[in-house]
Amino acid sequence: MTGPEKLLDPTGLDDRAADNTLAPRPAGLRGLTVGLLDNTKPNAVPLLREIGGELRRRAGAGRSILYTKDYFGMPAADDLLKQIAGECDVVVTAVGDCGSCSAATVADGILLERLGVPAVSIVSDSFLVSGGAMARVQGFPGYEFVAARHPVASLDENQIRDRAQAVMPEVLRILGVES
Amino acid sequence: MSALIDAPQADAAEIRSAMEYYARREWTDGLPVVPVTESYLAEFLASTSSGPDEVLFTMPHLNRRLTVRLAAINAAMAGCLPEYFPVVLAAWEAVAKEPYPKRGIWQSTTGTAPLLIVNGPVRGRIGLNSRGNVFGSGFRANATIGRAIRLTAINAFGLRPHQLDQATQATLGKYSACIAENEEESPWEPLHAEHGFDPSSSSVTAMVFRSCMHIEARHTGRPEQLALDLANSIRRTGSLIHEASSALAVLGPEHAALFGEAGWSKDDVRRFIFDNAVNSRAELAAVGKDALSRHTRWRLPAGHPDAIPDQASASDTPDRVPALKTPSSIEVMVAGANNAGVSTIIETFGMRGDTPSIAQVKDLDV
Repeated sequence: MTGPEKLLDPTGLDDRAADNTLAPRPAGLRGLTVGLLDNTKPNAVPLLREIGGELRRRAGAGRSILYTKDYFGMPAADDLLKQIAGECDVVVTAVGDCGSCSAATVADGILLERLGVPAVSIVSDSFLVSGGAMARVQGFPGYEFVAARHPVASLDENQIRDRAQAVMPEVLRILGVES
Repeated sequence: MSALIDAPQADAAEIRSAMEYYARREWTDGLPVVPVTESYLAEFLASTSSGPDEVLFTMPHLNRRLTVRLAAINAAMAGCLPEYFPVVLAAWEAVAKEPYPKRGIWQSTTGTAPLLIVNGPVRGRIGLNSRGNVFGSGFRANATIGRAIRLTAINAFGLRPHQLDQATQATLGKYSACIAENEEESPWEPLHAEHGFDPSSSSVTAMVFRSCMHIEARHTGRPEQLALDLANSIRRTGSLIHEASSALAVLGPEHAALFGEAGWSKDDVRRFIFDNAVNSRAELAAVGKDALSRHTRWRLPAGHPDAIPDQASASDTPDRVPALKTPSSIEVMVAGANNAGVSTIIETFGMRGDTPSIAQVKDLDV
């Protein structure tokens, strides 16, 4: 008979090193190119365009480039992330309003930060915890992202404008720019 | 006396302290788990020729991968016996081959669970139930093999409810969903043989499922009436999130025999259900599901700004909207007791006419 032994860890989480380094923040956004990463969920594009416009008005950001990922439930493909990192100075990605896409939107932000580009992920506040859990499995506990009030998918144009206004202070703060 | 005369002695406080350790770490599905140490783990690893570091399933988007060792720790915690482990490994192989689990379905608000179906001689060898109470409790192999998958999802992939698992309600099969086919009381070849496996081999089929629907049909001896009852259950509008759906018909032996004695093959059952699992355009319009979203291809009302016509709209019979894409969108198997006209329709996710994901159980003689 075997004597006392240590109980085993069923997670395997210790196998991986954490990397919670943010990309360097710019001194300001004036003239910088803003990437808008659309995850194909309803209202993602109008919300991103509003935020792109607000970054120009409030912080003097330059042009915006819109990108679309293949499938909302997974992080964007490596090639697309690299292209975005090559063409943009900062990125906003939206909108995580379902179980898999909220987590994937947060993963996109983390992966872009690791490619050296400051990124803001926007999820609806119903999915705040799933975004946080994704940050932990990605080895980046405490990664900051923005929660927009749920729902987003069913909003009209004016309501989307309001949502964009509401998240702007957080978007600017995460990009390291105070409004 | 409330103890049997030959009952063994145990230190209940020590056993409890081990179980509470797992509970505190949230390494459970809510039920107590079996404490696992290296020496107990070794018995599981000895039941397979696979190495402990072999990778069974990767979820790159979660930055996680499942090794044989992690699968064994979780299977042991779930209450599996070491001799069940080859079945658990085959289950992971089948799950890994499915299109949806690796694409985030286990995080989804839809709230699916993996259903495992075991065929072949391993059923008898480890006591897997295929007869009465097949979806119920009371059988260790069924209960713990299914549970091993869930515990692993929680522990090794971090898919905890309220966190990465965002299921709105989930399904009752989420603790465990592992059944065996009642091959002995089926008029047809078993599921794995139908898909090209040697009937004398053992296998695990994995399917992502959303719900289980009870079909009580004790009223008829006519195969057409029974098949129509099944078809009407499959075409229900509540399951039509996408353009079409898919299903697994788990026929009780009595229903299977009714078809078999009437000379119906599995394909005849499938074909009849496919032909009759059809909604009228008006029925779909009444619930606002008569068109598709141009973005997601999910069903929505024809008046919606994103609406595009479904495929049936372009057919010769635009008012007849099939709920299934092809006859092979429905799988047929037999399970349960041969004692009443009861069957179950399992609403599957993603199996829309493609071959189900089946893996052979290896190392049964190790």
